[in-house]
Amino acid sequence: MSAEPLELARYAVALAASAGAREAEATVVVSDTFGIEARAQQIVTLQQSVGRSLVLRAFVDGRKATLATTELSRAGLAELVARCVEAAHSVEPDPLGGLPQPQPVQNGDLQIFDGDVRARSEEEKIAAALTMERELRAYDARIDNSNGSRVADAVNEVALVNSLGFEGSYRSSSVSFSASPVANDGSEKRTAHFGASRHGYGAMPAASEIARVAARRAVEMCGARKPRTTTLPVIFERDVAAVLLGDLFAACSGANVAIENSFLAGRIGERIGSEQVTIVDDGLLPGGMGSSPFDAEGVPTRRTTVFERGVLRSFLFDTYHARKLGAQSTGNAAGGTVGPNNFYLLPGTGSLEELVARTPRGIVVYDIIGFATEHVTGTWSRGAAGFMVEDGRIAYPVDGFTIAGNLRDMLAAIDDVAADIIYESAIVSPSFRVAEMTVSGT
Amino acid sequence: MLEDLPRPLIERLLAVALERGGEHAELFHEQRLTHALRLQEGRIHEAGVNVTRGVGIRVRVGDQQGYGYSDDLSEASLERAARVAGKIARSGSGVRAVSVNERPVASVYVNGAWGDTVAMARRVELLTRADAAARRADPRIRAVNGSLVDEVQNVLIATSDGLLVRDRRPLVSLTVQVVTERNGERTHGYYGDGGRRGFEFYDRVTPESIASEAARIALVNLEAVEAPAGEMPVVVGPGGGGVLLHEAVGHGLEADFNRQGVSLYSGRVGERVASDLVTIYDDGNLTGERGSIAMDDEGTPGQHKVLVERGILRGYMQDALNAELMHTHSTGSGRRQSFRHLPQPRMTNTYMPAGELQPDEVIRGVQRGFYAKSFSGGQVEISKGDFVFMVGEGYLIEDGRLTAPVKGATLIGNGPQIMTRVRAVGSDLKLASGSYTCGKGGQLVPVGVGLPTLLIASMTVGGSRVR
Repeated sequence: MSAEPLELARYAVALAASAGAREAEATVVVSDTFGIEARAQQIVTLQQSVGRSLVLRAFVDGRKATLATTELSRAGLAELVARCVEAAHSVEPDPLGGLPQPQPVQNGDLQIFDGDVRARSEEEKIAAALTMERELRAYDARIDNSNGSRVADAVNEVALVNSLGFEGSYRSSSVSFSASPVANDGSEKRTAHFGASRHGYGAMPAASEIARVAARRAVEMCGARKPRTTTLPVIFERDVAAVLLGDLFAACSGANVAIENSFLAGRIGERIGSEQVTIVDDGLLPGGMGSSPFDAEGVPTRRTTVFERGVLRSFLFDTYHARKLGAQSTGNAAGGTVGPNNFYLLPGTGSLEELVARTPRGIVVYDIIGFATEHVTGTWSRGAAGFMVEDGRIAYPVDGFTIAGNLRDMLAAIDDVAADIIYESAIVSPSFRVAEMTVSGT
Repeated sequence: MLEDLPRPLIERLLAVALERGGEHAELFHEQRLTHALRLQEGRIHEAGVNVTRGVGIRVRVGDQQGYGYSDDLSEASLERAARVAGKIARSGSGVRAVSVNERPVASVYVNGAWGDTVAMARRVELLTRADAAARRADPRIRAVNGSLVDEVQNVLIATSDGLLVRDRRPLVSLTVQVVTERNGERTHGYYGDGGRRGFEFYDRVTPESIASEAARIALVNLEAVEAPAGEMPVVVGPGGGGVLLHEAVGHGLEADFNRQGVSLYSGRVGERVASDLVTIYDDGNLTGERGSIAMDDEGTPGQHKVLVERGILRGYMQDALNAELMHTHSTGSGRRQSFRHLPQPRMTNTYMPAGELQPDEVIRGVQRGFYAKSFSGGQVEISKGDFVFMVGEGYLIEDGRLTAPVKGATLIGNGPQIMTRVRAVGSDLKLASGSYTCGKGGQLVPVGVGLPTLLIASMTVGGSRVR
């Protein structure tokens, strides 16, 4: 790791002190990114850059202001830090504002950096993208186009310094592949999207396999029809399940709970979910895509049980919102608020196919669109596409419908969970089934 | 903070970018200053200053693009970005001199006190007034959250075709969220207004009026019943209802999807794609609107475009790359989130001109249906054309009249189907006041929408109440 990010963070903290900040914290992120997109037999975009950014939080007597900048010249920074400290004077003092006391950070290997990201040749990365394009078209004659196959990677250096004496830095890397076929059955075009992310190329599934899964999903949707309006059990495939967990994360965030913008506010200790619902946030999960030694305030990350067999045990906190609700930070500070580390539902048993086989009648949802979630009430609805399940088997594709319910009711109605979780994002889930939801179609 | 790249450096970087034989090189230099102030629990909670500064360099060869950016404006770092961008060209055709000449760009913004000259005290005053007005509105109001975000984005674009243009784009948005509670049930209302203007805008559209509207919506939602489920006639309200056009038709008419043949509108210019009541414009030139741009992020002036005219598809929204490959001209639709992003064909302000019916005549024709007064957002899948939108404020229609307010529902439809089912268009065209931001390929850009009251014969309402 180069010394530059740490030095820059120290310099910004010193600037803030001389501009009149009582406390200050600076985070410098240097991101070395690479990305390509292939269509048919050629690479259509190639992007490569090193991006740097600095985020400074300055406190003047409990008044907080934040500076985020990509302008990092020494002279430029001095002016901007002064402007940030000046802006803090417009804020009302808040006795709860301020930095966390430095705590020791574990030095164990979180397995979040893989040197092969930089070692791997550009030719190999290009070959992976072209392979996906080729495999998509080879899978089925109906796949005659795509929205591009992508390979992207990044190496990030993060350095954090605060005026109370915290200094820390770490390095992480990421790789992602994705394929987006378009199938044409003569009357309609059908798209699908499938991808994978890991910390290094060595851990990635084969590009050809990703393409085949994406291709199968596009082809199997051909001929989909709108289902009748009714209530049915709904199986959430793991990527769709993760979207639902994202909404649940927002409701568990101390930042939302503190302003009562959450249907879970004031319900610690209550049974909300079914017995199947155990949800944790674990910043120390080895190889987890959301793992890091410390959060955006330098607080060591940890494992927090949020739901235990359906009972709400804890919200997730940064320092400010923890103080506000009389709790301790859970190491979830991110971007000035509360963010997930590895937030996931503990897996149950078997594959998605086995979960379908355990379902006499229902709908399995592979794709949802929209973002209608009322965090205050838990009201939840989405446009959806997937398959009708009859007698434990996939019967036919359906689309053009919505699924709706209330997050609280849905958590209580999770009655079966598969074991197909893959830790490839900060919020992940195994596939699960909700016993009954409203399906709105014709 | 504002500094210019010297012209000889710009010309040299464009030449370096083309060293390996690219066809077009383009340099995008951005310097953006954003202020954000947040009010919570009756007090100013947080201030933010955000600076986005850097240079992105793009090289095009046919349909291939190389891109590199740098926030470090040293010559060495900028040259590295130019070389990375140039890598996409593999023919290595050698050195070529580039010279650029500056051209003026006509403004489409409202002059006045833009964010980079406004004192923090003025921002504080606007938010504090909004907070007080919302709290005064009703005893059931439990919390008020306010946000004021403004920016000035300075853009310089130079191309190997000799173009050098600059734009200075203001943007301001004041939004208020009001949380109401009755018998332990909480709901909220959300409203905002702004545009590409100075802060004088809030002398006319006062923070009090914005806060009152947010409070009104929150109070309406307190009375709301569960949304119905199933197919029924839907009347879409004026203004924010324009999200319908943006999702149902707009994205499908972006040139990239059509050149690539993935849009259901590919190859259909001149064909009937909607009922003859449907005309849709996209206009980057509307003065002071949120989606307006004097020039796009490739240096092409913003334009008024006819997308659909009386049901006939007239054309796509083009950026430079797709226009060249489709043998036509850019429509000034190439937009990007920042210097770190490649431009894409995007919408600006998308709207439908007014029809002839009084709005209540449109509603009167519906026995039982759904009235979507405003949308909080939407999303579309452009190949089959299925789209959803999320209702911000909605009502049941019973016997031609609006009755009970309805809780947040998702409406789902298919773009081409819905457009053939438009049965009536009101005379009340309104541009939405909302602060809409459109996402595509991971890039966010501010947009505007507008609509007169519209009747759609049948659509699926995705509530939870099955009849």
